[in-house]
Amino acid sequence: MAGTRRAEEEYDYLFKVVLIGDSGVGKSNLLSRFTRNEFCLESKSTIGVEFATRTLHVEGKIIKAQIWDTAGQERYRAITSAYYRGALGAVLVYDVSKPTTFDNISRWLKELRDHADANIRIMLVGNKTDLKHLRAVATDDAHKFAEAEGLSYIETSALEATNVEEAFQLILGDIYRAISKKPVASDEGGAGAAGGVKEGKTINVAAGDANSEKKQCCST
Amino acid sequence: MDKKKAVDDTEPGPAPSRPVDRFGFIKPEQGTSPDGISKSKSIHERERERDGRRIKKWRKMIGVGGSDWKHYVRRNPHVVKRRIRKGIPDCLRGLVWQLISGSRDLLLMNPGVYETLVIYETSASELEIIRDISRTFPSHIFFQQRHGPGQRSLYNVLKAYSVYDRDVGYVQGMGFLAGLLLLYMSEEDAFWLLVALLKGAVHAPMEGLYQAGLPLVQQYLYQFEKLVLEQMPQLGQHFIEEMINPSMYASQWFITVFSYSFPFHLTVRVWDVFLYEGIKVVFQVGLALLRFCHDELVKLPFEKLLHAFRNFPEEATDPDVLLPIAFTFKVSSRLEELEKEYQKKLEGSNASTSTKRSHPLKLKTMSRIGSRALSNFTNSEK
Repeated sequence: MAGTRRAEEEYDYLFKVVLIGDSGVGKSNLLSRFTRNEFCLESKSTIGVEFATRTLHVEGKIIKAQIWDTAGQERYRAITSAYYRGALGAVLVYDVSKPTTFDNISRWLKELRDHADANIRIMLVGNKTDLKHLRAVATDDAHKFAEAEGLSYIETSALEATNVEEAFQLILGDIYRAISKKPVASDEGGAGAAGGVKEGKTINVAAGDANSEKKQCCST
Repeated sequence: MDKKKAVDDTEPGPAPSRPVDRFGFIKPEQGTSPDGISKSKSIHERERERDGRRIKKWRKMIGVGGSDWKHYVRRNPHVVKRRIRKGIPDCLRGLVWQLISGSRDLLLMNPGVYETLVIYETSASELEIIRDISRTFPSHIFFQQRHGPGQRSLYNVLKAYSVYDRDVGYVQGMGFLAGLLLLYMSEEDAFWLLVALLKGAVHAPMEGLYQAGLPLVQQYLYQFEKLVLEQMPQLGQHFIEEMINPSMYASQWFITVFSYSFPFHLTVRVWDVFLYEGIKVVFQVGLALLRFCHDELVKLPFEKLLHAFRNFPEEATDPDVLLPIAFTFKVSSRLEELEKEYQKKLEGSNASTSTKRSHPLKLKTMSRIGSRALSNFTNSEK
């Protein structure tokens, strides 16, 4: 388990990022393409949360991305929304061949506004561009939407490994510029949650917190 | 990779006969070391011999079609418990699971209900279910063929359940339960076993695993975290320092009762015990995994811990190693106390919203639920 430990632990910044979006849009495969250059045709639906990291160069800095991949089904937000806290970036994925997954983007944005730090950087990703003949969400529409909402935007194909690298470069660069512009102290979320954590640990969330905190969600 | 080449070079024909293990899962392409292969072979043979002797004993215990079962259990509950812990012979598993879960009784009390749910009712979750069908046990031959019998029956069971209990509907994770059951029994039997579990025919109901807010998942995680701290203080402390909480690794253990990512021969052994003794075995097995890897885990930092939780060593997932460790943890009464503690905590932090505490339903009520689903159907049709 040790191995090349030293080398991989040297980085300038550690950024926590969450992958969210409707179920089946390809979040897990985007992650595996980015972190292991793998794509699995026979992948299982994600239950709960999964985790992976990759260290890469962004704008001359070595940045380690800690990425939380979340189950997309609405009911799982009871668990997954706890992971938004302390995240510096969110990769919000839809499937270009499934309009409903794009229509739901605004609900995901609301979800982030409710649970994530206010200055979280958000990138909209239209995945599955390889399904050319099935495309149902126009690049233009998504682009306009992203602009109006102040999100960065890119289209990817995890299957063909198109733009995946670029997508993560984009969000990580975005986070880097955001945190290097403004002083870290300005956030009330506290404990460095909104700043890049230099040579340290990320901020993680306790299950207990998830229970005791936001209780306004459930309706019966 | 050598083996894989031989398969890959052939044309992708209509029926690619990829090698499968004894449970029907397609073998990973030479992923394991040669060591691993010979080892699993010897495990295989050992189990087969043992099974031969066991099957005889079990057949006696069950009687024809389960006719002697209840009588035997009443007279020798401890023998039954011991034998189940050693593993139910695979060829009798489906039948025994139905007997110990109470699902056989439900089936008999609700003739025709399943068929009605499948054929006449429509479910709001249909699209969600379809989306996940090919993502449930994708490496098992029974579920591989698109729209094949495996996928169709999985869809039917999940759809039927989503109609039967519209509160729960369909939630990701249920498919792994249903899929596992379908490898051992018919659609209708699998459906009633799912009902027996979620509505609580024998043990406490588990529908809270899937209801809005996933209340039971949250409770189990709370209990599990406390148990880790109490049973393995050093490791528990280490988790706290590394900011590891159980939702990061154990939610899928509970949500799918170890059917999501563990070797199948372990999964079925856990299910043998789970169906007879209840959810506590999931806690015990979880604790046993941590205990087995304890000395390694206490040394690992945050990220390596998360990796380790998804990659337990092969020895750790050998049921004959893991289960004996699991049974050394006596957790029943502590689990009850922790449940009360958790409920109190919830009520304290959340006085207004009532979290329904569900109690095991009696079988009578179960059949009423069945007929309610039916009458719903007839009303809406009129």
